[in-house]
Amino acid sequence: MTPPIRVLVVDDSALMRKLIPQILQSDGSIQVVGTAMDGHFGLKKIEEVKPQVVTLDLDMPGMGGLDMLKEIMLRHPVPVIVVSSHSTQGASVTLQALSMGAFDFVAKPIDVSANMPEIARELISKIKAAAQSRRVAIAAPIEARKQSQKPILETKTQATRIVAIGISTGGPQALQYLLPQLPKNFPGTIVIVQHMPEGFTEMFSRRLEEICAITVKEAQSGDLLLAGRALICPGNRHIKVKRLPMGDVAVLNDEPRVNGHRPSVDVLFKSVAEEFGEKSIAMLMTGMGEDGAQGLGVVKAAGGMTIAQSEESCVVFGMPKAAIERGYAVRVIPLDALSNTLQAQCMHDRKVGSKTESEDRGRSAGVGKN
Amino acid sequence: MSQFPDERAAELKELFFETALELLQSLNEETLKLEKQPGDLESVRTIRRIVHTLKGDSAAVGYHELSELAHELEDALALEGGGAPTALAEVAFAAADTFSAMLSSYRDQTKLPSAEPVRKLIRKMARDPKTRKPRIPKTKAASVPEVNWTEYEKLAMQAALQQGKKVYHITAQIDPNCAMPIAAQQLILKALAENGEVLGTRPEPGSAKNAMQFQLLVASDQTAEDLTVKCRIPTVISQVRIECIGTPAPKPAQKEMAGEVGTEHLSSQSPVAQNEEKAEAKIVAEPVHETEPALTPQPPDREATAKPIPALPENVLRVDAERIDIVLNLVGELIIGKSMLQQAINEFAARYPKEAMRGRFADAMAFQSRVLNDLQRSVMKVRMVPVEQLFRRFPRMVRDVAKQCGKQVDLVLNGQDTALDKSLLDAIAEPLTHLVRNAVGHGIESDEERARSGKPAVGTIRLQAYHQGNQVIVEISDDGRGIDAQKVRTRAIERGLLKREQASQLGEADILDLIFRPGFSTADEITEISGRGVGLDVVQSVLHRLKGTVHVVSHSGQGSTFRLQLPLTLAIIKALLFRVEERLYAIPLNAVAEIARAHESDIHRVDNCEVLQLRDRVLPVARLGRPPEDRLEGRSERVFVLVIATGERKLGLLVNAIEGEEELVIKALDEQTAETDLVSGASILGNGHVVLILNLAAIVERFANSRPDTAGGPGMGLLLSHSERARFAQSAVGGRP
Repeated sequence: MTPPIRVLVVDDSALMRKLIPQILQSDGSIQVVGTAMDGHFGLKKIEEVKPQVVTLDLDMPGMGGLDMLKEIMLRHPVPVIVVSSHSTQGASVTLQALSMGAFDFVAKPIDVSANMPEIARELISKIKAAAQSRRVAIAAPIEARKQSQKPILETKTQATRIVAIGISTGGPQALQYLLPQLPKNFPGTIVIVQHMPEGFTEMFSRRLEEICAITVKEAQSGDLLLAGRALICPGNRHIKVKRLPMGDVAVLNDEPRVNGHRPSVDVLFKSVAEEFGEKSIAMLMTGMGEDGAQGLGVVKAAGGMTIAQSEESCVVFGMPKAAIERGYAVRVIPLDALSNTLQAQCMHDRKVGSKTESEDRGRSAGVGKN
Repeated sequence: MSQFPDERAAELKELFFETALELLQSLNEETLKLEKQPGDLESVRTIRRIVHTLKGDSAAVGYHELSELAHELEDALALEGGGAPTALAEVAFAAADTFSAMLSSYRDQTKLPSAEPVRKLIRKMARDPKTRKPRIPKTKAASVPEVNWTEYEKLAMQAALQQGKKVYHITAQIDPNCAMPIAAQQLILKALAENGEVLGTRPEPGSAKNAMQFQLLVASDQTAEDLTVKCRIPTVISQVRIECIGTPAPKPAQKEMAGEVGTEHLSSQSPVAQNEEKAEAKIVAEPVHETEPALTPQPPDREATAKPIPALPENVLRVDAERIDIVLNLVGELIIGKSMLQQAINEFAARYPKEAMRGRFADAMAFQSRVLNDLQRSVMKVRMVPVEQLFRRFPRMVRDVAKQCGKQVDLVLNGQDTALDKSLLDAIAEPLTHLVRNAVGHGIESDEERARSGKPAVGTIRLQAYHQGNQVIVEISDDGRGIDAQKVRTRAIERGLLKREQASQLGEADILDLIFRPGFSTADEITEISGRGVGLDVVQSVLHRLKGTVHVVSHSGQGSTFRLQLPLTLAIIKALLFRVEERLYAIPLNAVAEIARAHESDIHRVDNCEVLQLRDRVLPVARLGRPPEDRLEGRSERVFVLVIATGERKLGLLVNAIEGEEELVIKALDEQTAETDLVSGASILGNGHVVLILNLAAIVERFANSRPDTAGGPGMGLLLSHSERARFAQSAVGGRP
């Protein structure tokens, strides 16, 4: 038997310091080795008990969570799972934490006695993933750059191809690395499913919008899939794409969870494959579990391009691994090469499109489904 | 693993209540701070953090109403950019009260109090333009909700306009009596589809929402009037409103038809989609800037100003006080055991003076004593809690009471970390509260009166605690008008507590002590503030029960100080053992100032009162036993005088023999057994003998009160009859008669 995963719980709420260990100890392979009520204590405890994973509340007196996180990353890097509150402010701070190197986050438990199974499952699986994760050297988070007025998106320009991205743990960091590299005249349109609860996705989209040349927006039903635009599926909803007479749109729905997720990557990939066929590019990035693996297969079967992020650049090599093992990934590419690959794919397609399809249909993403 | 067992949930809730109360306490404290320094951003931040934790905790245990209210407050606090207004403190206080009321109803499973009044306050604060920067309201409670048509719908709108159609926004109010709103939606959808193209609807098609309002985006060639007519479906649609939001012409018209009567008005809004696109981009951008100020001020001043909220230190174990009592009891038994062993060893040593084992016994004994001492001290320490636990409730209370009386009062706390036995702390909570309320209500004068006597407008009440020897002193002083001894004297005579001629004999301290006598307080003084039907006599009786005392020192016009004196603990005392008429008694050693020897002949009678000349002082003495029967013979008898000091007074106790000092584990005597308050408990010695522990405060009290009119009293001895003594002894050993 492997030794249990040593966890340190840092939270200023006495209740949480009791509750989180209780939740964790329901799993035999996790051992809470200590608790701390603020950042100072937390750092001391880290040195003392050498935990493998830290759960961290961000809103604490004294040394707050973000300051502590900075110290942790600097002094004794250990995966940190942020236990985040549900407020808007909570979301924004959480995202800040993620871009500073927090491994992942969970929402603060709500109504434990009723929701224990889900709460426990999520927290425990994330802790296990964190314990197994390797440290991935991620380029320093890109500072928000003052965007000079972004061009108003030309609704007439149809995207050359649709890029569907499925991503989970480690995603915020990876996307904040990848998306800013795309130029504002990026010819493809992007739809992203990032496993993240409601409220967080909005904040996340805003943050990306700030640092990207392309426009980034939390998707609403009816949003157009435009070139140079990335839509992020809001938490707790599914996203599909639809081709309508006047343009291609994203459609949200509230159908049940798929693979335990809503949004689910599989839902997006399958819908993309169905609507766009060989015009689709599906990309499965860092994250635990298998959501999206099957969908990647469907895209491949429909003639689309499928990409999996390579193991060494993944914080958690779960979803891409599942796809690669099944043979669904046409290409396996490290994070730092993804931007170029996407640009090449989308450009390349435009050329091919104008050559092979002389009847001026290359501008429409609709050509894929003849 | 997945199920959360019930007992866990119950335990969690218990913990929640405990921590929530602490959070509320901190909330009150921090809000007080804020009230004193309005605009203290650090306080606002701390308050927000406390509310935040409360929100998270209550959500975790499933108390959503509480959590939601906390959430609202937190959000409102987060808006607070600069210049925190005093209104904030008011709101926070009100919220703290509501939180606390909600907690009690959760605990007692009664109906939750309405959170509406507080909610209103919170909203008012959040809306108040002075307290926040203008901000785009997130949700509008307008009768016609703004519709965000999707990009695709806008695209469709544009396309329709290009085709030369007009675009209408139609809002249909479904009749409240209509049983199937969804069917009604279908009807109107069908009616409009025949007369144009429906570009979009809210709720969206297929939505299960039973909305009573149905909105449609329609492109049509027809005029608004024509469409209105089409929409009129009796008994299903109660009202239709049509707005033309785009016409193909360069000067488009906007029509609005309210209800059955349509009105038209013009608008210059032209290429709709384009305009709205821009507007939307703006809206998206703005909130980002909104949130930033709330976040950015944190890093620079954080270290300088951040102070941890007083909370439980880490590694704290919460243990039921009862369990500690059990341990303490066992330690008590061990101490008795030690005495037994000690005696056995002594006997052994006497019997076999040459035995080599004696040394080893003595060593073992010494070692055991030391460990036992440490053990006892450690257990006692476990029971000790800082008086802060009690003190922290007062700032809020003083503020409220002062407000009620229209006074300005500052509360100064000192020595909060003085430790005191938990049970004592709980016991003095009530009397102390009473005294503090009194100080605010009666002690501190009104503004005018203070101004007249040249005092600062803000009155000061000091609450302090400190150790003195083996005792804890808690003092409440105010700088108010003080107690007028003359008035007290008059009142006491009126009340029949004092005879006029006695009154003149009493010193000021004695007079002031009269206010603790039952029946002194008058009914017309009972106010909401400090009356409560409890007088100072209750304060005193509680203190006596705790083997403590209460005294007051007052200077007219300068304020009064109430001084509570308490033993450190109730459970184990170092005692002086002595005999009165062959019976064994004990008193706390720390109360004994001096032990003197005297002959019966040294004792004189003055004014019905026995006194002893001790060095250059005259000491009143109390006889615990009977006086020597034969006066002449007894004159030469030697006695011991235990000089005890309680408060300002000194008193000598006449006893026959001193037995030594010993640590006693006090066993309480129940009220049936002890009819008198002169005895506070009993203890068992190592040899199995029972010793009664005297309640000095009560003895002094009895002595003082009985002195004036006891005819021939002094000779009688205060102590008890044989039969009484026998009863005590039995009950202390554990048996029942």
